[in-house]
Amino acid sequence: MIVRSARFLDLETPVEFMTGWITPVNHFFVRNHMFEPVEIDAKTWKLSITGEVAQPLTFTFADLEKFSLHSVVNTMECAGNGRSLQNPKVPGIQWGKGAVGNAKFSGPSLKTLLEKAGVKDTAKHVQFRGLDQVPGKVPPFIRSIPIDKAMDADTLVATKMNGAPLTAHHGFPARAVTPGWVGAASCKWLTEITVLDKPAEGNFMNPGYRWPNNPIKPGDTVKPEDTHSLTGLTVKSLIAAPSDGTKLKPAAHVVQGVAWAGEADIAKVEISTDAGATWNEAILGKDQSKYAWRLWSYNWKPAKSGDYTILSRATDSQGRVQPEAPAWNPSGYLYNAYDQVKVHVQA
Amino acid sequence: MSKPNFVSKPNFVSKPNFVSKPNFVSKPNFVSKPNFVSKPNFVRHAKWSAAILTLALLSLSATLAGQSSSASSSPLPAGAMQEKAAEACSACHESRIIVQQRLSKAAWTKEVDKMIKWGAEVDPKDRDALIDYFSANFGPDQPAYMAPRTAAGSASQTKTKK
Repeated sequence: MIVRSARFLDLETPVEFMTGWITPVNHFFVRNHMFEPVEIDAKTWKLSITGEVAQPLTFTFADLEKFSLHSVVNTMECAGNGRSLQNPKVPGIQWGKGAVGNAKFSGPSLKTLLEKAGVKDTAKHVQFRGLDQVPGKVPPFIRSIPIDKAMDADTLVATKMNGAPLTAHHGFPARAVTPGWVGAASCKWLTEITVLDKPAEGNFMNPGYRWPNNPIKPGDTVKPEDTHSLTGLTVKSLIAAPSDGTKLKPAAHVVQGVAWAGEADIAKVEISTDAGATWNEAILGKDQSKYAWRLWSYNWKPAKSGDYTILSRATDSQGRVQPEAPAWNPSGYLYNAYDQVKVHVQA
Repeated sequence: MSKPNFVSKPNFVSKPNFVSKPNFVSKPNFVSKPNFVSKPNFVRHAKWSAAILTLALLSLSATLAGQSSSASSSPLPAGAMQEKAAEACSACHESRIIVQQRLSKAAWTKEVDKMIKWGAEVDPKDRDALIDYFSANFGPDQPAYMAPRTAAGSASQTKTKK
């Protein structure tokens, strides 16, 4: 794993690992804004639901295990993935391409728990808070999602990842999973759910995790009132192989990678091996599930020796196309320009 | 439209960027080996992963061990503000978060002021010098920071009971 930070721990998956549909847990990127909790005992851990509900409730882990498991294969991506590729540079963890992974998350639907508490008509947002340790005067990592997304059966209080109990890095014993949305909507070490009559407040709702209402030029700033909260992921593909900088023989090669589009489906992935002059459609992998990335591959036999620039671009079911250059925003969120590797072919 | 600014070299070519030698206060409890299970494509990764494993673990160990003596493992460059920067920032995060940034002076000013607001202890008379120090060493024209690699999924320090 690529160590973007050891404290707070932020680990990135090398893009060349992205050749399988399900990302193994120990290859799944880790994003922390704070310190991971010092100690969590599932026997004493509790999850409360308060706020705009008829009956505030507290669940133990044993209570959660009594609910039927709902599973979602979800491509989770940090909103800041690709930030290091933005130009001009912006502050924040300088993620390369690999703050993204695809895993099967399982647990009760959040909706089931909320219905148990009885959501009032005044409910507009559902706020999550985890057990991560807040240093200094840093604002706590508290965010909320709209009630419609919270009541979607696919939004989970997940207790399992790839069929096993959540690991400490990924939110043991339970985390929110808001599928198709930026990773920040999926709070780890979940302990408080608060139903609100308005969006949560605080740094990680505003100015954090916001997107300009209208396009702005690279380097420009934007007023908070001219922005909105990030929600779903955008359309994007990555090239897992060949690796950037590789020397290849003039033989048949498989260009392969992954493509995802948040709440939309991938319609096609196109590959260019001549720096964008011409494009050819890749073959999409058979594995698919709503919110999950698709594997893709393209058989390529370079005609002659030389330097090649290979590009990938995805198109989704909503007609969104991965752009040549990313949409600028001052925090470097949702970078999704064409992916690119350069290779040298020589006999 | 301008072309995207891609990283031109694979990260794993470079060696981990650590300055000081590891100071093993306590040995972090790492997962000992990458779990390359059944995917043939991962086998080739295992080779270079193993090759850099020791270096990467030493680097990460140094940083984690440095939680109790972070100044000694600081990769911050020499300068009048080196020590004060390490002291002000390391209570909450390691220096790697600083050295990977490539920001203009205006952006560093915003970051320093934000961090002071969030609890970084900076003597008001040091603020401008601190901004100058970060801007001079981690400005937009500096070469890209090359992050080290470690074994797959190092173990969390969170104690969990199931």
